[in-house]
Amino acid sequence: MPITLTMPRLSDTMEAGTVIKWNVKEGDKVRSGDVLADIETDKATMEMQCFDDGTIAKILVDAGKQVKVGTTIAVIAGKNEDVKSVAANAGGGGASGSASPAAAPAKPAAEQAPHALDSARAASSAHDEEHLDDGGGRRLRVSPVARRMAEEQGIDLAAIRGSGPAGRIIKRDILAIGGALAGSAGENLAGAQTAANIPTATALALPKQASGSVAGSPVAALAPLTSRSVALSGMRQTIARRLVESKTSIPHYQVTMKFAMDELLGLRKKVNDSLEAFGVKLSVNDFLVRACALAMAKHPYFNASFAGESIAIHGEVNVGIAISLPEDRGGGLVVGVIRNADQKSLRQISADAKYLAEKARTKGLSMEEMNAATFTISNLGMFGVEHFTAIINPPNSAILACGAAIEQPVVRNHQIAVGWEMQATLSLDHRVIDGAMAAEYLSTLKKLIESPAALMV
Amino acid sequence: MTTIISQRDLPMTTLEAVPLTGPVPPSSPAREIEFRDAVREAMSEEMRRDARVFLLGEEVAQYNGAYKVSRGMLEEFGPRRIIDTPISESGFAGLAIGAAMLGLRPIVEFMSWSFSLVAADPILNNAPKMLYMSGGQFGCPIVFRGNDGAGGQLGSTHSWCVEGLYSNVPGLKMAIPSNPYDAKGLMKAAIRDDDPVFFLESERLLAFKGHVPETEYTIPFGKAAIRRVGSDVTIVSWGRPVHFALEAAEALAKEGISCEVIDGRTIRPMDWETVFASVRRTNACVVVDQSWSFGSPGSEVAAQVSLHCFDDLDHPVVRVHSDDVPAPYAFNLEQEMLPNARKICQAVRTVTYNA
Repeated sequence: MPITLTMPRLSDTMEAGTVIKWNVKEGDKVRSGDVLADIETDKATMEMQCFDDGTIAKILVDAGKQVKVGTTIAVIAGKNEDVKSVAANAGGGGASGSASPAAAPAKPAAEQAPHALDSARAASSAHDEEHLDDGGGRRLRVSPVARRMAEEQGIDLAAIRGSGPAGRIIKRDILAIGGALAGSAGENLAGAQTAANIPTATALALPKQASGSVAGSPVAALAPLTSRSVALSGMRQTIARRLVESKTSIPHYQVTMKFAMDELLGLRKKVNDSLEAFGVKLSVNDFLVRACALAMAKHPYFNASFAGESIAIHGEVNVGIAISLPEDRGGGLVVGVIRNADQKSLRQISADAKYLAEKARTKGLSMEEMNAATFTISNLGMFGVEHFTAIINPPNSAILACGAAIEQPVVRNHQIAVGWEMQATLSLDHRVIDGAMAAEYLSTLKKLIESPAALMV
Repeated sequence: MTTIISQRDLPMTTLEAVPLTGPVPPSSPAREIEFRDAVREAMSEEMRRDARVFLLGEEVAQYNGAYKVSRGMLEEFGPRRIIDTPISESGFAGLAIGAAMLGLRPIVEFMSWSFSLVAADPILNNAPKMLYMSGGQFGCPIVFRGNDGAGGQLGSTHSWCVEGLYSNVPGLKMAIPSNPYDAKGLMKAAIRDDDPVFFLESERLLAFKGHVPETEYTIPFGKAAIRRVGSDVTIVSWGRPVHFALEAAEALAKEGISCEVIDGRTIRPMDWETVFASVRRTNACVVVDQSWSFGSPGSEVAAQVSLHCFDDLDHPVVRVHSDDVPAPYAFNLEQEMLPNARKICQAVRTVTYNA
């Protein structure tokens, strides 16, 4: 039995997924454990693993396409199965059939005229990649049976002008070429496919792109900007939905405090210098995670959720850290979670944070790695940002937005001095936390940060 | 209404020239009988072999049937098995369903399927669902039969093609024969079937003669017949429109278009394999169905062919139906409203890109 790969449900709320990238193509042998594709869910981009051995017979959903959970996205031929017939029976799709000339059934003439055929294929592959665009930007209309026959005979559809309505290429057009091929007794199969040798179907002269070149201009002009519409990725949809929900349903307010960072930076340098050999490099954010987590013991409402009739105060401190994703992972951001952060050493927190950031940016985080945050920190310090406010990550009741530690004139012991300061701004859910409570939490945080030795134990 | 119908003198142009390339045995010696006689032979033979079978309906006994289908049956089987009913379709259909549930095998004649509409509750809500709703305790082995489709200037209320409405219901079977041979074989199979069978005859075909052998035979449900072999297009039809399709095929052959004509014979179940196999050869499909187009058996064929033969199609499936209006009374308008050969030719030229 061929193995059917369907769009997996990778999270409870996932209804559809997007194939971001296929790591395999039709005809590839795959083994259990191979990563076949990157799948974007509403929350994250994840790897799709193979659970069987076999050969990819047919890919039915092209990269970039979103389909519902459960939709067949590819078919694998098992060990003793004929890949071609599995592919033929895979049906559906249509889309990828023409997009993968390499996987088309072997043509009988291939042995007789390998070079000619190869060049014909190479010529046609460009059009195939354009998904049946004739090269001039014109969409090809092809009846299903004509498409199938062209594929079976290795005929380049882009070189045919269809005789059906609106230029639709129909069976008759393919038969006409087939007749021409038979007439030339297969002496030059590929040649017959090119426009010049087709007597009955009119050839299309494909115009070369000649205009628009600025390479020769003495001054390279700025390329003009173009208006365009970008489809929302699943993650972008989720961000849009959840943050509108948060910002419109939670009564946000912000409280900002400045922190003297001299001692913390000094301590950090000392620790990092001495532990360099062990590969330990604590970031300022690691200290902040630990400080925020430790402060929860005294301020349980900052580790809580508004639950309609009550306030749910959580029994563990799970600190979420916002991680921005690179463009080639689809951009966006995810929140990785450092669980039981109040129970973890700085070194452990640092290791966790590094692991999460790295994994989020390469393979994508699992649901477990993103779930159950009770408090969130968003840090733009590394970009030199001085101050910003964040939107609460539901169901949290607070988020801390941290700026950069900046060297600047400060007042210390009634003297103007040069020191390092950082601003951090809490966004709060007023249903759970009042202004004075926020001030008290920030004071506790300030003590921990400005006397950072306490964070070490 | 009983005296006029079968004597109506409308042209039956194509009917004599129907070539039957299906499984019709060669006629030697050719015994040709009318469609109505074929139906009666089937009923009579089954009544002789099975005492549970009986016929009831309006005027089926003393008057020999409004269309003389049951001629002579009262004499042979007596008034306990050939039963005249009051003009009360809902009543006698319900009575027969009860009899079927308790083990008899009734044949209910509706003078016209148009009149069955008042019996919609027993025939649609009880008979087809009985086996299901009783958890298998009661079956309903019953045959409902009568004239379906335009009889010729009967007006819109008496010209119903009920296949569009009734074939929608799960649990029933539906046979729509196009010739005497099929009428007899399918009727015998219908009477022996353990499920309710809706047997749709055409008033316009009752006098149509065809070969019917004297030897006993039945025709299984769900087996289509290829009436004409062709290579350019598959025309799928059933019942009376099969003749229009054959007429069109004849005309189109002169234009060099080779039509394959499939007679579905039963539409519940439909012989999909024969249809699909043909479309895979011809790469084009026209469906001819005398019901209205919206939600019709024709749309089901188009949907199934599109689903299963997508990569084999050179053109979307095109359907020829009755026009989407109540049947007109005027002769010329009625002919134009029905799926006639001219419309079929046009559809075939479209799907073969010869328009």
